[in-house]
Amino acid sequence: MTRANLIRQILRIGLLCIIASFVLGPLLATVLGGFKSNEEIQTSALSLPAVWRTDIYAGILADPGFWRYLGNSLIISVATVVLTLLIGAAAAYVFAQIRFFGSRMLFSYLSLGLMFPFATAILPLFVQVRDLGLLDTYWAVILPQTAFGLSLAILLFRTFFAELPKELFEAAYVEGCGYIRFFWRFTLPLSTPILATVGVFVFVQSWNNFLLPLVVLNSREAFTWPLGMMQYRGEYAVEWNRTLAFVTLTILPAVVFFVAAQKYIVAGLTGGAVKG
Amino acid sequence: MAEVRLDDITKSFGNLTVIPELNLTVPDGSFTVLVGPSGCGKSTLLRMIAGLETPSRGRVLIGGRNVTEEEPSRREISMVFQSYALFPHMTVAQNIDFGLRLQKMPKLEREERVARAARILALESYLDRKPSQLSGGQRQRVAIGRSIVRNPKVFLLDEPLSNLDAALRGQMRVELAQLHRSLGATMIYVTHDQVEAMTLADQIVVMKDGRIEQVGAPMDLYDRPATEFVAAFIGSPKMNLLPGRSIGRQDVKTAGIRPEHIRVDGAEGTWAARAEVVETLGADTIAYMSAEGIDSITVRLPGHMRLKAGDRLFLTPEPANLHLYDEKGHRMEARA
Repeated sequence: MTRANLIRQILRIGLLCIIASFVLGPLLATVLGGFKSNEEIQTSALSLPAVWRTDIYAGILADPGFWRYLGNSLIISVATVVLTLLIGAAAAYVFAQIRFFGSRMLFSYLSLGLMFPFATAILPLFVQVRDLGLLDTYWAVILPQTAFGLSLAILLFRTFFAELPKELFEAAYVEGCGYIRFFWRFTLPLSTPILATVGVFVFVQSWNNFLLPLVVLNSREAFTWPLGMMQYRGEYAVEWNRTLAFVTLTILPAVVFFVAAQKYIVAGLTGGAVKG
Repeated sequence: MAEVRLDDITKSFGNLTVIPELNLTVPDGSFTVLVGPSGCGKSTLLRMIAGLETPSRGRVLIGGRNVTEEEPSRREISMVFQSYALFPHMTVAQNIDFGLRLQKMPKLEREERVARAARILALESYLDRKPSQLSGGQRQRVAIGRSIVRNPKVFLLDEPLSNLDAALRGQMRVELAQLHRSLGATMIYVTHDQVEAMTLADQIVVMKDGRIEQVGAPMDLYDRPATEFVAAFIGSPKMNLLPGRSIGRQDVKTAGIRPEHIRVDGAEGTWAARAEVVETLGADTIAYMSAEGIDSITVRLPGHMRLKAGDRLFLTPEPANLHLYDEKGHRMEARA
């Protein structure tokens, strides 16, 4: 390796370390915070704990409320992912395969949803959910989340589906396979990269969603974990160590999900770039 | 019986008419090749027989039955695509019996048919592989296997060999001819390669701009091309097309003579010519020559005649093998 190359490598690795530290620093502080006392967090947030306290984590793990929140979040997120993938893929399949009057306009209209800020819709959404009698149910969160996730899902799916060779459908069609069967037997199995990509986006978004559950869920029974976390914020004091330990434990499933799907995500994002 | 007949078929895309009023009969059990330059409408024609395109007007009859409005799967046809269109997530066996599964055929019979197709196409040891693990020729065979298991009355093949390298193409050509002989089914084959057309077909259909220029047996087309276009298209190296005056006929627009029908002499002849480029192929020597009033004329000589660029020779076209064409490019029957 030449000297210039070596310097360039060192610079590159240094830069990557700095960028990684932006992500890992707060994460580390969060994980470590769960082992500290509140006073220690206030004085030295980033250092290793002077005394490793495990009772905070243990306390949260032993709390049935924590597991209930986690379960609620999991049900809502999984349902949102499944619904978004199914509806989004079906809609995108139609846009990619069939040319019908107004398809371009309809597609543009759906894409407009990308520009619509979620927070602006929160009041009408609440009214709608209340009128439908869905308050305090999982559907109150699942349905709006699916609706808002669809624009991105359809946009990504359509591009991917459009790149599946047309002859594949024709070959199946000649054999007697119709559009719907083709969707289940060909489009979905051949689209795992993009399904994983969109699935992870939707899952993480739903997992971390705070505003919508806050507005439509009032019963503690139906709380998702971001709402459950609020119990550690008193009127006068915040139990930071509990909050941080809680956050650490609740982001774990999202991280696991991401790592599991990571291989496909990279393929999904670059899938359209090169033919191969 | 599975004769394919096209009655007054017209196909337009918007204002663009790709095929104007075309009639064609493909006899039962024949190997018919549709050939023509790209964009001549031959693939569109095949897709209309398959049912992937609907004709704007006219009727498609397969085995005497009007199938113009019928779904492809009910036409008793099968199709092999240029890109093979194998299903990438299925094994070879699953690819081959996909259509049979859709027909809800009993498992035992399905396995039997797949095994038979695999035996015919020498695919037995690849049945559990995915298409991505196969070579080009093997993929081609899987695509053919997929079409033969259904016992269709008519096979449609859309440039099936164009993605293969030259050596493999020659081999697959032989295999296709053998397959046709053993199955006895009607085959309609689209290609832009006149060599494939000549070697495979019992009947060649030469197309240009959506119209049929000539239909006939390969040697009929070779011996008596009906139009100037067919004369230029069929045969390799190409027929020489010369102005009528070069053979002393003012009433003739174009006179055609094949490279092998020109006599060469050192001392006398109709044209005094000079060799510009000489290609030695072994059995043959192809010489590209120029003569007075003629830019370029191709001559096929026996391989033992050694010729160098720059050599001067006399050329004489064999009068019996002259093809004469009028202003419209139609064949004139009176020989020179």
